[in-house]
Amino acid sequence: MSLGISATQYHQQVRNESISVEEYVARTLERIQKVEKKVHAFISVNENALSQAKQIDKKLKAKEKVGSCLGMPVSIKDNICTKRMKTTCASKMLEDFVAPYDATVVSRLKSQDVIIIGKTNLDEFAMGATTEFSYFGATRNPWNTDYVPGGSSGGSGVSVSALECLASLGSDTGGSVRSPASFCSVVGLKPTYGMVSRYGLVSFANSIEQIGPLARTVEDVAFILNIISGHDPHDNTTLDNGKPDYTKDLDAGISGKKIGIISEMIGDGIDKDVAAVTNRAVSKLQRLGAECIPISIDSAVHSVAAYYTIASAEASSNLARYDNIRYGYNFDLEGYEFNAYISKARGSFGPEVTRRMLLGAFVLSAGYYGKYYLKAQKVRSLIKSQLDAAFKKVDLLVAPTMPILPFKIGEKIDDPLTLYLLDINTIIANLAGIPAISVPYELAHGLPIGIQFFANAMQEKMLLQAAYALHKTTNLPEVPL
Amino acid sequence: MTKIGLEIHCQLTKLESKLFCSCKADYRGFEPNVNICPVCIGLPGSLPILNQKAVEKAVMISMALGCKVPQKIGFFRKNYFYPDLPKSFQITQYNAYGPTSIGYDGKVLIEDKEIRIRRIQLEEDPGRLVYEGSSEKTQITLVDYNRAGTPLVEIVTEPDFETPKQVRLFLNLLADLVENLGVSDPALEGALRVDGNISIDKGNRVEIKNVASFRDMEKALHFEITRQQSLAERNIPIPAETRHWDEGRKITISARSKEEEQDYRYFPEADIPAILIDKTVIERLGKNMPESIISKKERYIKKYGIPLQVAEVLSSDKFYSDLFEQAHNEKNAKEIANLITTDLKGFADTKEQRQQLKLTPKHLSDLADAIMDNKLTRNSGKIALQEIVKTGKLLSEIISSFDLGHVDDESSLSKVINDIFAEEQNAVAEAKNNPDTINYLVGKVMKKTKGKANPSLTLDLIKKKLDAQ
Amino acid sequence: MVKRQEIVRLGDLIKIELKNPGKYVKQVEQIIDYFESLDKLEISSDKMLAQELTLDKLREDKYIPYDEKLVDKLKHTKENFVKAPKMI
Repeated sequence: MSLGISATQYHQQVRNESISVEEYVARTLERIQKVEKKVHAFISVNENALSQAKQIDKKLKAKEKVGSCLGMPVSIKDNICTKRMKTTCASKMLEDFVAPYDATVVSRLKSQDVIIIGKTNLDEFAMGATTEFSYFGATRNPWNTDYVPGGSSGGSGVSVSALECLASLGSDTGGSVRSPASFCSVVGLKPTYGMVSRYGLVSFANSIEQIGPLARTVEDVAFILNIISGHDPHDNTTLDNGKPDYTKDLDAGISGKKIGIISEMIGDGIDKDVAAVTNRAVSKLQRLGAECIPISIDSAVHSVAAYYTIASAEASSNLARYDNIRYGYNFDLEGYEFNAYISKARGSFGPEVTRRMLLGAFVLSAGYYGKYYLKAQKVRSLIKSQLDAAFKKVDLLVAPTMPILPFKIGEKIDDPLTLYLLDINTIIANLAGIPAISVPYELAHGLPIGIQFFANAMQEKMLLQAAYALHKTTNLPEVPL
Repeated sequence: MTKIGLEIHCQLTKLESKLFCSCKADYRGFEPNVNICPVCIGLPGSLPILNQKAVEKAVMISMALGCKVPQKIGFFRKNYFYPDLPKSFQITQYNAYGPTSIGYDGKVLIEDKEIRIRRIQLEEDPGRLVYEGSSEKTQITLVDYNRAGTPLVEIVTEPDFETPKQVRLFLNLLADLVENLGVSDPALEGALRVDGNISIDKGNRVEIKNVASFRDMEKALHFEITRQQSLAERNIPIPAETRHWDEGRKITISARSKEEEQDYRYFPEADIPAILIDKTVIERLGKNMPESIISKKERYIKKYGIPLQVAEVLSSDKFYSDLFEQAHNEKNAKEIANLITTDLKGFADTKEQRQQLKLTPKHLSDLADAIMDNKLTRNSGKIALQEIVKTGKLLSEIISSFDLGHVDDESSLSKVINDIFAEEQNAVAEAKNNPDTINYLVGKVMKKTKGKANPSLTLDLIKKKLDAQ
Repeated sequence: MVKRQEIVRLGDLIKIELKNPGKYVKQVEQIIDYFESLDKLEISSDKMLAQELTLDKLREDKYIPYDEKLVDKLKHTKENFVKAPKMI
C-alpha cells in the first residue's frame, strides 16, 4: 500500500475495498512517527485517530452511510479551532488552550467523516513566511531538511508533502498557503475572500485572511473546497457561492483562454532559476492552447507596504484579547495589578508577533491614521481596480509563486523586511480578495518551484481548471524523505 | 451662559438577544457567567454576528430624535484594556471619517429650546466588575460577562441645554420615547445611564459621571453650577476635569484617577460588513413606528376634547395610553381618560402594581358607561374601581354585592330625606336661607345612603321639601 | 525617526512588557521608513473596498442559550466569576 496516493485514489481504494481505513491511518501514523523528528510538521497528533478509523471501517462494513471523506487523514493548521484537541497558534500565549467548539471548516469535514490526524506547526499566530517563528521550534522542508518549508502554514505544506496526511487546511493572509505549497511542491489554494468561513480561525488580519486547502493534486484541493466552502451564518463575511461542484469539469483544459503574465513579478528581482522555470511554464501553457500576454499591475509595487500596514494594524487589535486571564498559559495572577499582569503575560509573545503589534499600534495611533492606514486601504482599492481592468482583458493571471528558491533555515530570520518582501508575488490576491493557487512545477537544485494562477473573485472553477491542466503535464519525483 | 451636554447610554432591554450573538439581551437574573457564549466572551476564532432588530430599533430611535440616517452604516473598534472587555476592544460606531453611525444631526425641542443631537450610535456593553477593591487587602477583581455584548444605543447631544430642568425634561422624554418604541424598559436598573458635561460663561468643561438617576443628574448639575460660579466669582479658574457624583454627600468630587486622553486607535470592524439602509427600509420602519407621544397628545385633545393636563399624562405613559386605546369609544373616551389619570393612577403607578392589576379594558368601559348613564355615582365608581383592580370581578357583580347601585327612586330617597330632616332640624331651619346648608343636607343624605343617592335628584327633592315647609 | 521612547510608548499602548525595547527600534524604524512610500503616493480616488450586506440578511433576534457551561472551561475562576488581577 502506498501512502503517496492522492485523496481521490484513496477514496477509490477504500470504496473498492482494496484498502481499509484502519490500514491507511495506521500506516500514516507510522510514517508520522518516522519522519517527524526530521521535519517537525506537527504540534499535536490525534491519539484517537486509529479508533476513529476502526469506527469508519465498521460503518462501511455494515453498509451504513459514510461521508465522502471516507476516513481520509487530514491535518489542520494549529490556528484553526478543533474541539478536544489543543489550538496553540504556535504561541506560548495559547499553550494550553482547548477550544470548546470546532471551526466551521472542521465541523463540515467531520460531518463527511474526515479523520483529523493532527494539528500542524505554523509561524506564531500565522505571522511569518518560513515557520521559523513558532514557539515550538521550526518545521523543516522534506526536500532538504536544512531548508525552510515556507510559511506561515509550513506544517500543513510539509505534512502533505512528506506523506503524513492526504490533505491539510492552512490559512493564507499574505501567501501563507501558497508559499509552503510552492516550497514543498504541493498544491495550495487561497479562495476568494468570503468563500470559506473564518469562524474558528484565530484572527490575525481579519479583512484579508482565508482558510485554504493543500493537497498533492488539484482534484484533491477541489474536493476539499466543495466541503468547506459556502455561506456560514456564524461568519457575516461569507458569501453565497451557489455550492457548485468544483471537481466537475476539472479537466476542461485551457484552450482558448487568455492568460496574463504579471510583468512586475518576473522582473529583475527574481531568482534566475525561478525566471527560467516560469518561462518554461508559460510556454507549456501556450502549448496547451492558451494565449499568454504580458500584463502590468503597477500598483503591485506598493502591495507589500499596504499589506503590512493593514495586517499589522488588524493584528495589534485581534491579539489584544490574549491577556492570559480567561485562557492562556500558567501564570498566577495573585498579587499583581491588572496592567502590570497583562503586560508581563503578553511579554511571552515571540519577537515577530511583538514587532507587528508595535507597528500596528503605531499606524493606528492618533495622528498617523491618514498617513499610513487610510493610504494603505486606498492602495488596496487601487490594486483591486487594476486587477478588475486586467480581468477584462484576460481570464487568468500567472506568475511564479515565490520570487526565490527555498533558503536555509536561519538565513533571513534577523531581517524582517527582507522576509516581508518575499510576499511580493502572493499579496495582491489577499489585498484584492481574489482567489489564487500555487501548483508545483519543477525543481531546481532539488528545491521546489511553484507556479501561481490568479482569477477574479468567485472564479475558482476556472482557476482550478488551469491549475489542473498545468499540473497534469508535470512529472515530479517523489519526496526524498 | 451655562452650557450642558449629555451622553446617554440606553440598553435595548426589550430585544431578545445580544448585539452580536444569541445570548439573552436582558442579562438580569442570571447566575454569574451563565449568559455567555464563545462570541460574547471573545474566544479565539469567534466572530460577531449582527442583530437585525437592534439595527431596526436604533434606526427608529434616530428617526424619533429627528436624526439623519446614513445609507450605509459601519462599525469600528475602540481598542483599550480593561477586565470587563473580553476582546480588549469594543465594537462601536465612529464618525470621524464620515458619517457611518446609525444617526446624526438630529434635534429635539425642550421648552422651545432646540437641543441638537450630535450622533446616535449602536454599540456593545462590556461585562460587569462585580467586586473591585482599592485597598491592598483585595487581591483580585471578579468579572461577570453576562452583560458583555448587550446592545446599547449611545446618544450624544451638543451642549445646548441651558438649565438642569431642561435636562430633566429631555431625559424624561427620552425614557418615555424608548418605552413607547418598545425598545427598552427604563425602569430596569442600569437600562438608561447618563453622563453630563457642563461649562459656565465659556469656561472649561467639566464632565460628570457616576450619576445613578435622572433626578441625581439634575441635582449634580445644580451643584456644579453653584460650585463653578463660586469659583468664577473669586476669579479662580475652573479646571477641566472629570467629577463623580457622590450619592451620599450630594456633591461632585474630582475623580481620583486621572482620566488621560486615551488613544483608542479606532479603525473599521472588518468582521461586520457595511449595512445598507435604503429609502424603502426607512419608509417601512417609519410606518411601523408606534405613534409618537406628541401625536397621541394632540389626537386626544382634538378628537375627544380631553383637557391638556389629562392628555399629557395619558399620552406620555405607554401603559395608560395602551389601556385607553383598548377601552374607549367616541362616547366614553373623556370619562375613561379621567378615570385613568385621576382614579386609576393611585392603584397603578408602580411596576409591581401594574403587573398585579386585574383590571381589563372592558372593566374601564363598563365603569365609564355606568357613571355616564347615572347608574353609579362617581364616589361609588371609585369604590368599584378599587375592587376591580384587586379582584377583576365584573362590574355588575361588584355593584350588586357591594350594593353600589344608585338610589334612584323617589320614594326610597324621600324616606331617607325625611329621616335626615328629622335628625338635622337646625340645619333644615338654616337651609331655608343659606344654600350652603342645603349642600350639607345633600351630603348627609349621601352619607346615609353610602354614596348611592343620585345627587341631583336628592338636591331637587330636598329643595322641594324645603319649599313645601 | 523612531526613537526608543516611541517604542516604549507603543509597548505601553498595547500592554506588552518589552524587556529590551532597543532591540525593536532599528527594525521598526526600517519598516516604517518602508511604509513612507505609501504616504508619498498621490491617490485621487477616495474609494475603499468594503463588503456590504442588506438589512434583511442579518441575524434574527432570537435568544438561543449556549449549550455548554463555558465558565468551567476558563482559566481563573472563583465561584463562577472570572478572576482578574486587582484594579488600582
